[in-house]
Amino acid sequence: MSTRREQITSKATEHASSVTVVPLTPATEPRRPLGRAVQAVTRPVAVVWPRPTVDEWGRDTRFVEALQPFARLRWDVTVGGQQHIGGGAALVLISTRRLAMTAVYVSWAIGDVLGRPVRFAGRPDTVPFGPWMRRAGGILAHPGEIASALRAGEIVVVGASATSNPRQAGTVDPTLIEPALREHVPVHVAATMNTMIGRQARVEIAPRLLPKRARRGPLAEVELAEQAQRAMQDLLDELGGNRTGLGVLGWIAEG
Amino acid sequence: MRGQRVLVSGMGSELGSLVALQLESEPWVGSLEGIDVDPPRRRLRRATFHRIDPTDRGRVLDTVTRFDPHVLIHVAVWEPDARVHTKRARELTESAAVSILGAAAECPALQHIVVRSAAEIYGRRRGSPTRPDESAMIDPTSEFGHIAAALETVAATAATRVGVTAAAVRLAPVVGPHVPSPLGRLLRLPGVPFSVLADPPFAVVRDFDAAHALVAAARVGLDGPVNVTSPGAVTAWQAIVRGRRLPIPLVGPEWAIARRVSVLFGAPIPDHVAEMLHRGRLIDGGRAQDLLGFAPTTTTAEVIDSLYAWPSVIHVARLGLADTGSAAS
Repeated sequence: MSTRREQITSKATEHASSVTVVPLTPATEPRRPLGRAVQAVTRPVAVVWPRPTVDEWGRDTRFVEALQPFARLRWDVTVGGQQHIGGGAALVLISTRRLAMTAVYVSWAIGDVLGRPVRFAGRPDTVPFGPWMRRAGGILAHPGEIASALRAGEIVVVGASATSNPRQAGTVDPTLIEPALREHVPVHVAATMNTMIGRQARVEIAPRLLPKRARRGPLAEVELAEQAQRAMQDLLDELGGNRTGLGVLGWIAEG
Repeated sequence: MRGQRVLVSGMGSELGSLVALQLESEPWVGSLEGIDVDPPRRRLRRATFHRIDPTDRGRVLDTVTRFDPHVLIHVAVWEPDARVHTKRARELTESAAVSILGAAAECPALQHIVVRSAAEIYGRRRGSPTRPDESAMIDPTSEFGHIAAALETVAATAATRVGVTAAAVRLAPVVGPHVPSPLGRLLRLPGVPFSVLADPPFAVVRDFDAAHALVAAARVGLDGPVNVTSPGAVTAWQAIVRGRRLPIPLVGPEWAIARRVSVLFGAPIPDHVAEMLHRGRLIDGGRAQDLLGFAPTTTTAEVIDSLYAWPSVIHVARLGLADTGSAAS
């Protein structure tokens, strides 16, 4: 309190030779009993979440940190090829399996190994799942939204269309690649492999995808999307067999 | 560039007064005049102020054409429930836009128009971008958003017709200890409602930074829109906790009751603030530095803290210091 008063006095007397400064009560100190009671009630609450932890996209670092132990119980993710991603923005196209929340665990895993937040495209925009996914790092699968994140130097994970067979790469939406071309951001392809029951999961990131031909028009993203799907399929083939988490089923699925 | 005549409409508002204050120290400003229905809130040394009701089109036209400005900074925008209720805010903003922008268009020296717009112009419809940039579609979903969209249209039309440049400075919610803002009033209530299921993030901008951006847009002669927001974001819950207020979690139907009750406490919740508490309000301000040569550095959390650090009013007589001479408050 005394420090505050001294600061005010010295500031005020810079411009006036004789000034009597009335000490101000701190803003946090209520003057009325009701205010004191409210403050007493809210004091325990006030220490729960003392600092803002959401960033400009709504990703909540503390929320992610709180969920990660549970995520580790479900997935034990091994990430390879992370050295291909530079320090700036990048678009990472991943293969996804139905009902596997692939984009979520892949973005968290890549974020862990790179030591920086990674966004994933494809959060819903309905309560309550939309806000929760946003806090987990989700952004809308909207070209403008992806472009905005890439322009700000963020890494964005975009899923190909989900398939029931984890060894098969789904189609890639060219409209979601177009922001990367527009913002001159490298596009990477990553193959993912996980099981429905087991914890083991694998993410393998390929080097930057270079278009085979330079196009000026919309063919650029269409061809790059097809190229990405082929590259993703190659990576999945290299990763090996289907993993169900159960030995016998896995063996049968090998066909 | 030197010796420019600058007209500030809405000079009586907190933001308009700050803009005028900053313009007084700009070397390129030759003479400075202002129009508003209320007198300025700051001591202005160089500016000439005209107290005119925006609906008095004749007087506005006379005053503006006599001054013949090179640059018009149009800050005469009434945010719903900030100083007047929503319907009146729309009427005043529309009449000010027509009379002042119309009068400015009649001035032969006019070169540049800057209008104060708002982030609410993008709307928060389901599926709309979380952080729209300047190229995002204008799709307002609140009354304030519609007001801002209409204002930008009037300004762009006027600028096109007379062949001058027009800039729209789309500000995140302007908050400050002295800014009459429905969001600021709501957050300062002892108990603050928030959407427990959504609790989306939002960003704000400090009044000084908003004024700085408007002045910068006039200085560089920006043509087109620019988003201006503070870095970082907070959720309503985090803002409430930072201010040591009582968080009142709401789910849905009880919002109607909360909005009515908050009116009784002197802090009505207009639809754009309710929308912000449900759907968030973020904009991509990444281009401000390139376009204006300025980007706010005060973070959203710091702006929220300054809102709560507003010192209480001290009654000198109650403290027994009334006879000690001068006093500062």
